[in-house]
Formats: sequence, structure tokens, C-alpha cells
Amino acid sequence: MPHPPGGAEGPGRSRPGPGRPTRRQVLRGGMIGAGALALGASALGCGAPLSTGSDATRVRFWSLFQGGDGARVQTMLSDVHKQAPGLRVEPTTLAWGPPYYTKLAMASVGGRAPETAIMHMSRLPGYAPGGLLEPFDLDLLAEFQVTPDDFVPDLWRRGRYDGHSYAVPLDTHPFIAFYDTAMADEAGLLDSSGALRAFESDEDFIAASHELARASGANGVAFGHVNDDAQGWRLFWNLYRQTGADMRLPEGGPAEFDRDAALRAYTFLAGLFDGEHSAADLDYQTALAAFSDGRAGMLFTGEWELPYLAEAVENLGAAPFPTVFEEPGSYADSHSFVLPRQSASDPERVRAAHRFVALMVRNSLTWGKAGHVPAYVPVADSDAYRALEPQSDYAAAGETPVLDPEAWFAGAGSKFQSDMSETVRTALSGSGPEAAVEQLDRALASWVTRPNPSKGDM
Amino acid sequence: MSVQTITPLSERRSARADRARERARQRTLILGGGKLPRVAAMSALVVMAAVWLVPMLWALATSFKTEQDAVSLPLSLVPESGFTLEQYRSLFAAGDVQLWMFNSLLVAVLVTVFTLAVSAPAAFAMSRMAFRGRAALIALTVAAIVVPPQLLIVPLFEQMVAMNLVDTYAAVILPQLVMPIIVFILKRFFDAVPRELDDAARIDGASYWRLFATVILPLSRPILAAASIFVFITAWNNYLWPFIATTDPALMTLPVGIPNVLNSYGSFYAAQMASSMVAAAPMVAVFLLFQRHIVRSVATTGLGGQ
Amino acid sequence: MSAPATAAARPASPESPPCAAGGARGPLRRAADSGWAFLVPFVAVYAAFLVWPLLNGLWMSFTDSTLNGGGGDFVGVANYAEALGDPLVWKTLGNTAFFTLITTVPLVLVALAMAVLVHAGLPGQWLWRLSFFLPFLLPVATVALVWKYLYVGDFGLLNQALGALGSEGLGWLTDENVAMWSIAATTVWWTVGFNFLLYLAALQSIPDHLYEAATLDGAGAWARLRFVTVPQLRNTTGVVLLLQVLASLKVFDQIYLLTMGGPGDSTRSLLLYVYDVGFTGYRFGYSAAVSYIFLAIVVAVAVAQLWFASSRRRA
Repeated sequence: MPHPPGGAEGPGRSRPGPGRPTRRQVLRGGMIGAGALALGASALGCGAPLSTGSDATRVRFWSLFQGGDGARVQTMLSDVHKQAPGLRVEPTTLAWGPPYYTKLAMASVGGRAPETAIMHMSRLPGYAPGGLLEPFDLDLLAEFQVTPDDFVPDLWRRGRYDGHSYAVPLDTHPFIAFYDTAMADEAGLLDSSGALRAFESDEDFIAASHELARASGANGVAFGHVNDDAQGWRLFWNLYRQTGADMRLPEGGPAEFDRDAALRAYTFLAGLFDGEHSAADLDYQTALAAFSDGRAGMLFTGEWELPYLAEAVENLGAAPFPTVFEEPGSYADSHSFVLPRQSASDPERVRAAHRFVALMVRNSLTWGKAGHVPAYVPVADSDAYRALEPQSDYAAAGETPVLDPEAWFAGAGSKFQSDMSETVRTALSGSGPEAAVEQLDRALASWVTRPNPSKGDM
Repeated sequence: MSVQTITPLSERRSARADRARERARQRTLILGGGKLPRVAAMSALVVMAAVWLVPMLWALATSFKTEQDAVSLPLSLVPESGFTLEQYRSLFAAGDVQLWMFNSLLVAVLVTVFTLAVSAPAAFAMSRMAFRGRAALIALTVAAIVVPPQLLIVPLFEQMVAMNLVDTYAAVILPQLVMPIIVFILKRFFDAVPRELDDAARIDGASYWRLFATVILPLSRPILAAASIFVFITAWNNYLWPFIATTDPALMTLPVGIPNVLNSYGSFYAAQMASSMVAAAPMVAVFLLFQRHIVRSVATTGLGGQ
Repeated sequence: MSAPATAAARPASPESPPCAAGGARGPLRRAADSGWAFLVPFVAVYAAFLVWPLLNGLWMSFTDSTLNGGGGDFVGVANYAEALGDPLVWKTLGNTAFFTLITTVPLVLVALAMAVLVHAGLPGQWLWRLSFFLPFLLPVATVALVWKYLYVGDFGLLNQALGALGSEGLGWLTDENVAMWSIAATTVWWTVGFNFLLYLAALQSIPDHLYEAATLDGAGAWARLRFVTVPQLRNTTGVVLLLQVLASLKVFDQIYLLTMGGPGDSTRSLLLYVYDVGFTGYRFGYSAAVSYIFLAIVVAVAVAQLWFASSRRRA
């Protein structure tokens, strides 16, 4: 049933959208449903779906964009509305992470899934083979001026499965370092051009964090990971890959990883977040609040916090994730559009969904303003995007992306990521780095031997 | 509210005495005549009531603050930039909350009506009529009280998929009609209605339907009201099953929609407190209006096993 | 034969016109007046939404069926064997038992204390009842969001209060040694009002003469509480305990909304694990097996408690 754009606006930032009149229709539909229910069992199946009484084609769109992203999506939606008044887009925002992906899978199985949804590229191996998604019709996309050649080849390749394209990437979103330029200056961390200086080693970075702590009067670096399903993994994987090590997770096992590299990463984190110069046990919101409130000189998080931080922090600087080990690299993933499976799909709506996706991608300059690196090359290469600040300061992060391992159980919002994030918690506030390596070893060994539930008769 | 009104179906029901005298007497009976126990008891009550009220009052105050004031230190009940209705304004402008409230009301009312419609005739049959399998049916109903419906989420969801009901009101409502405790409570009450009444009716040639409709049901109004209130509260606040049965936000109930959809803006505490207060408001209002009935309902149905 | 057809066509209407005494009694009419006619809706609903899912779930627990319709092959007791060797099953079972223990005790004792104090007839009756019972009527969404805000690390009310007392703040929901206690505290705050009302109702049915007799025997307030009130409340306590243990065992809502089972798996309850495995991990068959192990435990606990209560009553 309709869910007007209000749902994707946050409390405190709402604004009547083009879908406004549907609310009454919804309530009216509910009344009809109620009447049907009261009339007896024969009508029991008719609670939800009802015609909308409008010429516009309905496109329900699920996303997990929080905070500032939600506002940007809203802007893009109103652009799309201007360009294609015939599309009635009904956005819904659900809580990020396992709840989102669980609901999305349940919606596909239930048969009344939304027409389009956002999915992290890293999650595709767990969805496309399981029959939960429909492939895109490339001819239809081309009709709306979007073709595979318009995307970074590697990103587009990740969206392919079994000869079909299941994902149209919207962006790359790297994990970066935000910092307070005034505090960084006071701590002597800025180079002559006023940007964050390079670090020689992990010790150098930790020493710098102590200077930052002095400058902020509280924390050097803020990082929220407690009770978070992903932050720990992003940071760990980022650092692990900076050592040049790799990880192999073949189905059925055995898992292969570099123990020494993992120990180096955990030990570095334990040294950095020692509880004295930088708190070890912050959760996501607390870390964000600590940095935006001036109680930390630097914040490790995704570039998606840019819109919020740009408003909340006076002297905001941003940089690709610092290279503390041998090789540069910033953890990154990609928000992509997918088409969830519907039990009764309507060609008209499928067409509308393609049109919507194409329009969103073409309007992704707004998305770039929110901090993300647009995946649609005509936008990413445009002068308008290149002129954005501080986007240009960390755009380099998109050149050395550290992507998730390709496995059915991995990816954003997966239980795998939350298990992996737990190892970071063990390193920081539990039994320490050595124990974290053991935990990592056990978890990886367990994951590779688990049966792939998407396999079988699919 | 006087003390007597929540006396459950106890046989002993003292006359409504003068409240002040009664209280004084009770005080002496429980605490003795000294001043010290009274002061101690009073202080204990005040402390406990404070502990129980502060969370809600704090949340209420926060819901009238700006986001900035909600997270700024030092904490203060009265915000720096004054109280504001902003959170509520945007909450209602977004529109979801009204829809969820409507869904909650619809679901709770229908669950209540259907549960009673299903349970009362069955309880009557178990109480009054002879049929094959009666003892076994009663035993199974009692046994069903122990089965937590929460453990059936997996097979129930699969069943809803097979029936093509996921994301419909029917999927939210139907499984909630299984409330064996209500059947059991009603049967116990019907058992206590003197048989002479139905014998008289039967001699007049009345059918069981007539006996049920004209004798038993009118006599059972208090227990039916109590059971209805109990079912309504349970359905209104039910979380797990409506959460499983709906993925479409337009079909969610208040408890499901508020944390799962609006939570996307996790850092906005004042807005969250406002939606929490809105979610709480209908029940609080109903409670203030029907306090005596609700209290009695909970006491009698809660003691249903006793 | 139109009369019986009419009667049968509207059996659900209590106002259906009665047959005259000794009137025609066709077979349909008899069916409508037999017990089964009253039971049809009940049997239909319970068969469809209790018995069938119970049986279907049992079957699923012996298959490798998945959320997305894959699998479904019979795998024998493989799921049960896996569950018994799954450390998370044991961990979450332990968490559930721990939660049950640390909530049931205060939910009985605090409720009893509240009821006795309110029953003592001090002024402010309305306020006491309102404050103690009202949280019970709140939807879990409200409870979880409000307490999450109280539990927030730095600007949370609780840590600020601790700070004001000169103590260090706690990681209420972020420290794995504390999180379950926090959830338990929230649960007690939320649900104690229900038990409070049950006790209050029971207190009112204690005959005054018992107190009078005890007073004459020289019993003080404390002795009267111990030797009159508590023994008289024994049956109520039995009911409260049974309901409480059963309710605590199936805890899901507040944990899901407050911590989602974290940090680590320190607050993951068995029901949360069933949800994780089945819906987040797609493994319906395995999830069903874990559910049935859990069901066996719940039934065993209930039977044991009932048996214990009835043998004590006989004694």
C-alpha cells in the first residue's frame, strides 16, 4: 500500500511531497479492508492491495538512507518527479543493517515486495542466486539513456550474476577520516597546503592521535563500533588490507587469512583506542556526537555522515582513510538499485521502475553533494561534481577501494559483518588483540562450512 | 479509585465503607499504630513512584525540545532554547503515525471481536454441553495455554506465504485469534453460573443457542468486558507477530512502525521521544478514562489460572 | 423442510427465532444445537493457526527448507544434531535462563512490596497505582526508545546522574557484563505493574480478622507481613511465578529493540536466535528445530511448575 514520501523524510525535516493525497486513499483503503474483514472469511485476503485511483504508475522504493542521506534522496525524488510526473514514487526508509535486509528478503518471499530497493553491492551474492531479485532489462534501461558503459566497469561487473544484471550502482561510498581542522592544526597534523599530512607508520598515527586528544581536551579519534553491525569490520578490513594481506573464503572451506596481519591490525586499534587518549567503547551515535560536539579531533566513519557533519562542525576536514600500514586503501561499498521479486509483477510497473532507476542515476549529482562518489560516470566526470568541497579531498579514496570479500554470507548488514565486528570489540574492550585473532579464526572457519541457503533447487 | 473496586471475583465482598475510616483501619492493620512505619512506608512509596515516573517524564520533556537541546550537556529538564512543538509537528506532517495508529486500532478491535466470537461459544460448549471428545478438547485447550505462539513464527510465516497473505491485515489478525487462556477463563466463569438457570430455560424448550444468548451471555457481561480489555491490550501492544507478518510500512501497527521505520533517523532523540509519546498516548488515554475497568480486567484475567 | 434450513443458515445469530417448544427437530437443527456447532469457529481457527503450524513446524524441523522456498528435503535429525552442538544455542539458552532468573525475582518481590505498601492505605492511592501500573500499558516501541535514550553513553540521563554522584558512567547497553541487567531493569519497570495489580487484588481478599488475631497475639507489622500476608498470598505467588517464568522465557521484543542481541551475543535470547537463524539467515528448517527444542523446554518448565504447585497445595 502507498507510503508517501513523508516516510523518507526524517522527523524534523519533513515537507509535503507529491504523494501527499495518497494518505487519504490509504485510510480509505484501510476502511475497505476493514469492511471486507468484517464481512467474512472470503474477503480475508483483500486487506492490502487496492487500486490507487490515479493515472500515475506507482513505484515503491525502499532504502536504508539515514540522516542527511534521507534529505538528499528527497531532493532527488522531487527532481525525478519534475522530470517524470507520471511516476508516483513512494519511498520508505527502514533501519539500516540486518533489519533492512531481513525485511527485504521477507518482502520478496511474501510476494508484495516494493518495485525497487537499494541494496549494497556486497550483498548481491546472497540475494541474486536465491531468486529474491529480478534482473534488469538492459534494453529498457537503454531506452531511458542508461547503459552498462556509463559505469565503472568493475562496479558493473559486481552486479552481474549468471549472465544477467541484477544491480545498477548508484555510488561508491568509502570509509574515511573526518577531522576538525582547527584541532588538527593545533596538533601539528596539517601540511603546508592545509590538508591532513601523511603518516609514516602506525606508531606515527597513534602519536598524532595523542596530540589530537590534547587539542580536543577529550578524545583523539572517535570511533563508534559497540552494538554496531558493521563499523568494526569496516575499520578492521580496511587496516588488514592496508598490510597487503588477503583473505580467501571458499564455500566448504578452508578459510585462509594472514594471522600476523590480523594481529597487527587489532594491535594497532587497541593501541589507538586505549581508553585514555581515545575512548574504546563508543557506539555509533555517541562517537558521532562526540566529534560533532568537539569532544574528539577526528572521526572514523563513512563519508555518508558528511551532510550532518558539514552542518554540525565548524572546521570540518575530510581525507581518505590514512595509510598507516604499507599500502593505501579505503574500505568502500556501493549502493545499488535492485528489483525485488514480486509474485504478480505488472509490466507497466516494471517499466516505471526501470525509468525511475535510470532517472535517479542520472540525477546523482545531488547524491555526490551528500558525500558519495557517483557511480554514473557522466556525473562523476562532470565539472559540477569535481568542484565540490570537501568531496574532492577524499575522492581519491574511490581510486583505491577495499571491497568486501565475495561470499554469499558477506556484505553490508550481514551477520558475517557483525560477527567480524565483534572481533574488534574483543580487541578493544574484551580480551585483547590475540584473543581477537583467535575469534576471527573460529568465526571464519565456521562461516565457510555453513550451507549456502540460496543454493539447492534455485 | 476505591480499594474495593479491584476486589476480584472473591466470594467475600465487603460493603463499601467510608473510605477514610477504612483506610485508617487498614493502615493500622498493616502497619500498626506507630508513626515510624508510616513514615517509612510513605518514603518507600515516594521513592518507587519517582523511579517509575521519571523515565516517562524525562522522555516527555525531551519530546518538546530541539534535537540540539536533547543531546547537549549539561542535561536540563528545561531546554536552553525553550520548549517547542516542532517534533510533533513534523511527526504528524509525515503522516505515518496516523496510519499506524489507524492500523493498530483496526487490528486490535478486530482481534478482540473475533477472539471473543470464537472463544465464547466454544467455552460455553465446553462448560455446558455433552459431546464426544469434550474432555479431550478441554485438556487440549488447557495444554495450548502453555504453547508460546512466538515459537511458531517460522511455520506461521511460511503458511502466510503459501496463503498469499503476507502484508495483509488478515495475516496480522488471524494468528492472534488463538488465545486459549480466554477460552479457559470464560469456561471457568460459565461453570460458575448456577445450572438451575439453564435447567429452567431448557424445560421451557429453549435451544442451547437461546440459553447461551439470553441467559449466559447477559450474566457474563463483566467477564466478557474483562476478557475484551485484556485481548485488546494484548493485541494493541503485540510486537513480534505483526513485525513478522508485515514488511510494507503502510500495514504496520504503531509498535512495529515506530521503531522500524522512523528509527532510520537514529540520531534524532527528540523526534524519537515524540513518536514514543504518540505511540503511548492512546493507551494512556484509555487507561485514564477506564481505569477501574482496566484494573479489574487485568486482575481477573491475570488470575485466570487461579 | 424449510424450517431446519433456516435455522441452520443462521446459527451464528443469537437472535435467531427459537423453535416453538416441542417443534420439529430435523437433523440440521440438531447439529446446530449440538456442541460442535458452537465449536466450529474455534476448531477452525485453532486447527489453522495453532495445530497446523505446530505440525508443519515439526515437519520443517526435519528438512533443510529455507526462507526463499529452497531446500525442503528430508534431512532426518540433522538439524537437531546440529542444534545440540551449536554453541550459540547453548549460549542463548543460558542467556534466556539468566534473564528469566534476574527478572522473575524482582518482578515478584518488587510487585509484592508495591502492593503491600499501596494496600496499607496511605494517602495518594491514585498516584501510586498510576505510576506503578501505567508502564505496563505502554507499547514496547515506547519502552525501548525511552530507555535507549536513558541508557545512552555520554548524555544519557543515567550516566549523567552517576556522574553527578561522582561515579563513572556505565556502558548500559554497550558493556556485555551490564547489558542484560539493563534489559532486565527495563523489563521490570515495564511489566511489574501487572503483578502489582494481581497482588493488590489478592491482598484485598485477605480477611481482616487474620490481622486482628495476629495483632492480639502481639505480632508487630513485620511479623504480620511474614506470618499472615505472605502465606495468604501463596496461591497468587504461584500464578505470578508461572506466568512470569513463561513470559520471561520467550523474551524477544525489548531485546530486539534495545540491543538486537549484542554486544557480542551477551543479550541474545533463544527466541532472538530463532529469528536470526530463520529470517535473517534464511534457514527455516534449522530455525524450526531450535524452536522445537525450546518448546520442549518451555513445556517441561510449565509442567514442572504446575506439578510443584499442586503437590504443595496437597501437602
